[in-house]
Parts: sequence; C-alpha cells; structure tokens
Amino acid sequence: MNQFKYISPKTKEKALKILKEERVNACIVAGSTNVLPDIKVKKLSPKILVDITAIEELRGVDKKKDKICIRPLTTIAELINSELILKEGKILIQAAQEFADPLVRNNATIGGNLVTASPAADIAVPLLTLDALIKIESIKDKREVKLKDFFLGPGKTVLQDDEMIVGIEFEQSDINKNGYFIKLGQRKAMAIAITSVAVNLDVRQNKIIRIRVAAGSVAPMPIRLTVVEEFLENKEINNELIEEATNKVSEEVNPISDIRASVEYRRYVSGILFKRAFNKLT
Amino acid sequence: MKNLEIEFTINNEKRRLSVKPNDLLINIIRNDLFLTGSKYGCGIGECGACTVLINGEPVLSCLTLAATVDGKEITTIEGLAKGNDLHPMQIAFLKNAAVQCGFCTPSMILTATALLKENPNPTEDEIRDYMRSNICRCTGYIQIVKAIEECAHGEKTN
Repeated sequence: MNQFKYISPKTKEKALKILKEERVNACIVAGSTNVLPDIKVKKLSPKILVDITAIEELRGVDKKKDKICIRPLTTIAELINSELILKEGKILIQAAQEFADPLVRNNATIGGNLVTASPAADIAVPLLTLDALIKIESIKDKREVKLKDFFLGPGKTVLQDDEMIVGIEFEQSDINKNGYFIKLGQRKAMAIAITSVAVNLDVRQNKIIRIRVAAGSVAPMPIRLTVVEEFLENKEINNELIEEATNKVSEEVNPISDIRASVEYRRYVSGILFKRAFNKLT
Repeated sequence: MKNLEIEFTINNEKRRLSVKPNDLLINIIRNDLFLTGSKYGCGIGECGACTVLINGEPVLSCLTLAATVDGKEITTIEGLAKGNDLHPMQIAFLKNAAVQCGFCTPSMILTATALLKENPNPTEDEIRDYMRSNICRCTGYIQIVKAIEECAHGEKTN
C-alpha cells in the first residue's frame, strides 16, 4: 500500500486548516471502508490522510426547532439505532438496514457515503426524498447545498478541496415521516444496488398533496424524479394514475448497462419498485 | 514516513507499538503480535475473516489503520477463552461441528458473540441477517447457525 502521513485532528478548525494548506494532497478519512480499498488499488493516492473520527462535534443526531441534523461522522449502525430518525425519517433506517453488512455499518459513516458519490449510494436515495440540505464549511466560509444539487457525477460532488460536510439536515414534517425505500440487489449482504427507489408521500383523503421520488443506480448519480413528482401532485389516487406514474418512472430514469443489469431491465424494474413503494404508503 | 507511537489494550494486555501510518491493524495483529487467529481474506471488507472486536464492536481489521486504535480495547479470538476454559460460543461451535477448514471460524465466533451481546435471544432469521457479514467458503452455514442458536437458547431437545 502507498505511503502517506497520518493526522488525527481533534477539532473541526484544525481539520479545515489542514485541508486549506494541503488541498489535493489531503484526503479526509472516517470509517475508511471506501478510502482504504481505494488506496490499495491506487484509485486514491493521498499524501496525507486526515482522520476526522476524533472530532466529537461532527458526531451524532439531534433536533433543533423543526430541523433534524445528522452530523457526518454518524455511523450507519448509529443511524439504525437512532430513535429520533425512526420517528422523523424512518425511510433512512430502512436504507441503513440494507446497507452493506453489520460489520461495515459499524465503521461506515453517512458523510462518507455522500462524498463517495456512488450512483448506487444507499443512504443518498432516501436523503433525496427527505429533501436533505448539506451543510458545508471551509476555514473561511460556510454554505448550504440541497442534496439534489450536491452530486455532479460518479465520484464527483460540489465539494471543493478545502471544504467538508459538517451536517446533513432535513425538516420535521408529515411527508418526511411517511416514506418507503426498496433496494434490489443480487443478494442481501454487500450487494451494490441494481436499482433502488425511495418515495416520501403526503396524502390526504386519497389526494396526493406532496410526493418526492428518488432512485439510485439509474443515472450517473442518485437522482430525484421530478417529472413523476409533478405529474402526481394534487391528483386523486387510482389504479390508472399509478400505472401511468410507473411508466413515467421507467421513462425518467437514465440508466446504463453494466455487469449488474441492462438498461432495459433497470428501466422496467425502477417502475416496479416505485409502484411497490407507493402502494406501501397508501 | 514517520512512525507513530500507539498504545492499546489487546485481550486485556496493554501494548505499546511503533507503527507506520499505512500499517493495517490485521497485519500488526498477525505479524507483530503473532496472534494469527484473525485472518487476512479478501482485504477489501467483503469476507469478514479479519473481524476483531474494537471496544466491543465487531469491525474489519483489514480496513482499519493501526494508527486509529490508539487508546482502544481490542479482542481477538485468542482473548475469548479464559485459560483452558473455552468461551461458551467456542464450545457451541465445537459441539455442532461448525468448523470445516476453520479459516472463517475465529471471525464467525467473534461476530456471533457481538450478536448475542446486542440481541441475547435472536431468531434464526436474525442470526442469518447479522452473520451475513462473515462468509464461510466451505458453506457450512447450517452448523454455524445451529451453534449460535444453541449458545443463545441452550440445546434443543427435539
């Protein structure tokens, strides 16, 4: 394995200062379940590994007013055990339970899952339907980006060299409480999604007030299906509507063929997964 | 690169070591401490053969830098038995012949103890769900699940 310097700053400021000074030479690491395999195959060759796991202020889940904030070092296992998340955004727990396997979940972090920017990222898909906001800081600046604008492509995000995620936020709301996530993989453990679909729904007297739909592994990045959302909003639920929406999901996704599945299969199955998730919520 | 001085507890013994920044925990455990129960399998976190407990939680030592265990408590398979008295999970694995080639066995036993700590009364489904972290290449899963069930619930009478 390549050599690198290892630093474990104790504060956020110290970590941001290192990023500012070292820029591309530095690589942040937390759970290391993605970074170390990438270093082993030389996909990454950082000169300095900045281990942020000692920065306590970046860990944990809490609620301020009507916002739920998940800090980036929260592990997938911690998400599963969070009562606040169970109450306010249960869909995240469903995705966390499908995430890799229990051992990986003890180390892998929510921040890491997002910055890795895999088109198949299990946690990103339900965070999209929770309409999550990503809080980003550098030593001199702070900014917020909607998760749907955070990903630029496979492995690419809007994060600059000197920036890091300091929080992931979503609102306490009826629609965020009512969500369903389905992941289709070739097997249960360690499977990368062939397709995954998340739906959050606010429905009153059989009328769709608001709906958010997202999908993974069907585009260069996890995406929101806004055409489908707009089509469904303010409509009465009936069988024809669902069938039409199912077809629209298959049309809106933009998958590629790879070793896991073909374009045609992914299009077809995204519609089916959408229909199943939608029916669970009504 | 400059070596890092780390201090940690392994199987209730305090150790001080000088490690390189890119040393993996699995290699330190096997090559420097000569505890060869933990195995280097796939090296990318898929197979689970390198499982150790860090502060009681099962983690993959092939994806853990040695530098990160400073101040932590590690348990390997060698730390489960008390002298000649095997851990109940080890006895259950022996009694149920839950071992074929044995390569995955240390990791299976450690993960199984972590499962019972989290969930002392798991159903068969819960056992299979949790144990999905660890792969047995001989595919002796039935005996492994039986051993864990027996350790949790006692021997079945039927």
